[in-house]
Amino acid sequence: MKTTLRKNSKAIIILVVIAAFLFVAARGMSGKDVIITVLRGFSIGSVTFLVAAGFSLIFGLLDVLNLSQGTLYMIGAYVGWTVYVRPDTFVDVLTPILLILAGFSLSSLWERFAKRIQLGAKPQKIAAWVMILVGFGLLALILTRYPIASWDLNNYSQSPITYSYMADQGMPIIPAEAVFQKISPFVAVIGILVTSSLSAFSIALLNSGTATTETANWRKYFVPGVLVLVGVLALVFNARITSWMYGMNSNWLFVIAILVSVISGVGLGALMETTLIRPLYSRPIYQLMLTLGLGTIGVQIVQAVWGRPEFVLPKPALFTGTGGVCPATNLADLFENHCSTILLLGGRVRVYDEIFIPIVGIIVLIVVWILLKRSRIGMIIRAGVQDRQMVEALGINVRRVFTLVFALGVGLAAFGGALAAPSSGLTPMMGEKLLLSALIALAIGGLTSFPGAALGSLLVGLIQQFMIKYGQIGIPLPFTDAVFKPSPPLVPASTVLLMVIVLLILPGGLLGTKE
Amino acid sequence: MSNILEVKNIHSFINQYHILQNVDFVVPQGSITALLGRNGAGKTTTLKSILGLASVRQGSVIFNGREVQGMPPYEIAALGIGFVPEHRAIFRDLSVEENLKIAERSKGDLDRKREFIFNLFPDLKKFLNLRGTELSGGQQQMLAIARALVADNSLLLIDEPSEGLAPVIIEHMINVIRQLSERITVVLVEQNFLVASKLAEYFVIIEEGKSVEAGLMKDLEADKAMIHRYLGAA
Repeated sequence: MKTTLRKNSKAIIILVVIAAFLFVAARGMSGKDVIITVLRGFSIGSVTFLVAAGFSLIFGLLDVLNLSQGTLYMIGAYVGWTVYVRPDTFVDVLTPILLILAGFSLSSLWERFAKRIQLGAKPQKIAAWVMILVGFGLLALILTRYPIASWDLNNYSQSPITYSYMADQGMPIIPAEAVFQKISPFVAVIGILVTSSLSAFSIALLNSGTATTETANWRKYFVPGVLVLVGVLALVFNARITSWMYGMNSNWLFVIAILVSVISGVGLGALMETTLIRPLYSRPIYQLMLTLGLGTIGVQIVQAVWGRPEFVLPKPALFTGTGGVCPATNLADLFENHCSTILLLGGRVRVYDEIFIPIVGIIVLIVVWILLKRSRIGMIIRAGVQDRQMVEALGINVRRVFTLVFALGVGLAAFGGALAAPSSGLTPMMGEKLLLSALIALAIGGLTSFPGAALGSLLVGLIQQFMIKYGQIGIPLPFTDAVFKPSPPLVPASTVLLMVIVLLILPGGLLGTKE
Repeated sequence: MSNILEVKNIHSFINQYHILQNVDFVVPQGSITALLGRNGAGKTTTLKSILGLASVRQGSVIFNGREVQGMPPYEIAALGIGFVPEHRAIFRDLSVEENLKIAERSKGDLDRKREFIFNLFPDLKKFLNLRGTELSGGQQQMLAIARALVADNSLLLIDEPSEGLAPVIIEHMINVIRQLSERITVVLVEQNFLVASKLAEYFVIIEEGKSVEAGLMKDLEADKAMIHRYLGAA
C-alpha cells in the first residue's frame, strides 16, 4: 500500500489537485457552463503546455531560460498562416531559404582555394571580415531582387487581413505570380549559393583562426545536394506547386501548414543554439539577455512583415460545417457533416477550439512522454538534466543532444502557435501573454518536471477560463445579496495568486524535485 | 611494462581557479595506482583533468600513446576510460537498468557484459527495476562501478570508493576492485589510507596542486614519516 502510494505519488497529486480545483470552482455553475469552461480550460492549457514543455525541456537540460519561447510560438503561428493562406508566398520563399541553407553547409568547398593562400593571423582576420561583408552584401542585393509574391501592408485590399477574410469565406484571392525581372533565375540560384557559402566560410575562418580540414566524402555533399535539388525543383515547378496547393483540400493544406511551422521552429531552434546560445554557456546572464532580446527582435520583424493588426488563420473544412444537422448532437453527425460546433449538455461547443486542440495537446504529451521514457535520447535527456558532466564522462556527446533538445523545444512552441492560430487569432503580441502563462504554469507544476508542465498548464488554463466565466455570471457572495463579478484584469491575476499559494506550500512546485 | 597513462606536468583550471600546478605521474598498464593527499589537494581535479572535465592549460595527458588534453570529454571517455565519480552520480530519474544502459557505447554492450557485471555485483540483478536513488549507499557505489564497466574501457578512474560505506561493504569493494584490476588498469583516489594500501601497487601523493611523491605502495607503507607528513596520522 505504502509503496504503491509512493510510486504513483505524481499521478495521485495530479488527480487530487484537479479534483479539488474543479470541486471548488464548479459549484454555483450550471452543468452546461461547467462543461464549456472546462473544455476551454483544457484548450488554453494544451497550448500553454506546448510552450511550457519546450521551455522546461530546454531549461532542464541546458540551463537556458529561453525567454524568446513566446516569440517563437508567435512565429510558428505566422508561418502556419502564410503556408495556409498564401501558399504562393511560401513556395516563392522556399527556394532562397533552401539555397542559403545549402550554401552554409557547402562552406568547406572554399577551403581548397584558401589552402593555397597563406596569410598571417592578422591579414587573415581582415580578409575574413571583408569576405563576410562582401558575401552578406551581395546576398542581400540578390535577395532584394528575388521575386516573391507577397501581401501589401499599406493597401487594405491586399493586406493579410483581407486575404484571411476571403479565405475564411471560402473565396480565397489568388494573387498574381511574381516573375523574375530584376535578376535572372540562373544568376539568382548560383549567386545565393556562392555568397552564402562564402559568408559561412568566412565566419568559420574568423572563429577558428584556421579553417578546419576534413576528409571529403560523399556524405558531406549529400545534404546540401538534396537541399539544392529541392530548392531548384521548387523554383522550376513554382507555378505548378502553387496552383496545386491552392487547389488542395484545405484539411491537408492545414496539415502541411502545421508541419512547415514545426519544421521551421525546429530549424530556427537548431540555428539559435548552434550560433548564438552555444558560445555563451559559461555566461548564463548573457544567454538570458540574448533570448530576451531575440524575442523582442522577433516581434519587430513579424510586425514589419505581417503588420500589427490582428487577423485569423481560417479553420480547415473539417471544422467549419454549418446548417443541416449542425450543431451536431451525436458523433455520427459530427463526422459526416464536419460540424463546427456540437451540443454537449445543451451547450454549444466549438469542435476545433474546445475538442481538437485538447486532443492534440494530449497526443503531444503522450508522444513526448514516450520519447523521454523509452528512447535512448530520452534517457540521455533525463540523465543530463541531473548531471551533464557525468553523461559526458560516459562518452556521450551532450552538446549534440543540447542542440536537439533546443530544436525540439522551439519546435513544440511553433507547433503550439500554428495550432492555436485558428482559435486565438494572430497578433505580434500573442506570444508575450502566453509566455507569461507558461512561466506561471511551470512555477506551479515544477520548473523541470515534464508532467509538472502539463499539470501547471492545465491549472492555468482552467483557472483563467473559470474566472472569465464567473466574470459573466458572477459569484454570489455569502450572507449578502451582492454578486461579485471578477473583472478582466483578475483573470491573469488569479493565476499568479494560485502560483503564490502553491509556491508558499511547495517551493519546488507541485511535481518539482525537492531541491 | 608500458604506461597506459602519462600525466605530464599539467596545470589545470576549474573556472578561473588554478587548481593543479604541476602534477606529473605515470600509470603502468594493468596496475592499481592510488592518488593520495589531504582534502582539497587536487586529487579529484587530477581525475577530471585526465577526462577533460577540468581544462588543462599546460602540460599533456597521454592515454594509450595519444595526447588527449584539449579534446572534449566525451571523445576522451570514448577512447576507453571509465569514470566513477565522487558521490557516485547515479542518475536519479533512471532505473538501475537504465543507469547501466546509458553507458553503452555501441549497441548490445550491456548484454555482452551482463554476466560479468552481475557476477561481480549479484545484488544489482535483484534491483534492476528500482530507481537509482532507491539503492543503499553501497549498492549505489556498486552501480557506479558497474556503469563504468559496461563499455569496453581499458582504464578506470575511481574517486573515493570507500566514502561513507560500512566496513563490510568496503571489504567487498576492495575485493571487487582487485578482481577488476586483472583486466583493467585502475586509478584510484582514496582518503582512507588503509583501503588504498590494501589495493594499490603504486602511489602518487598530491599536495597543494602539485605531485610531490610517487613510487611503490610497499615503500610508502614502510615510511611512516612520509605518511605522517603528507597524509596526517593514518
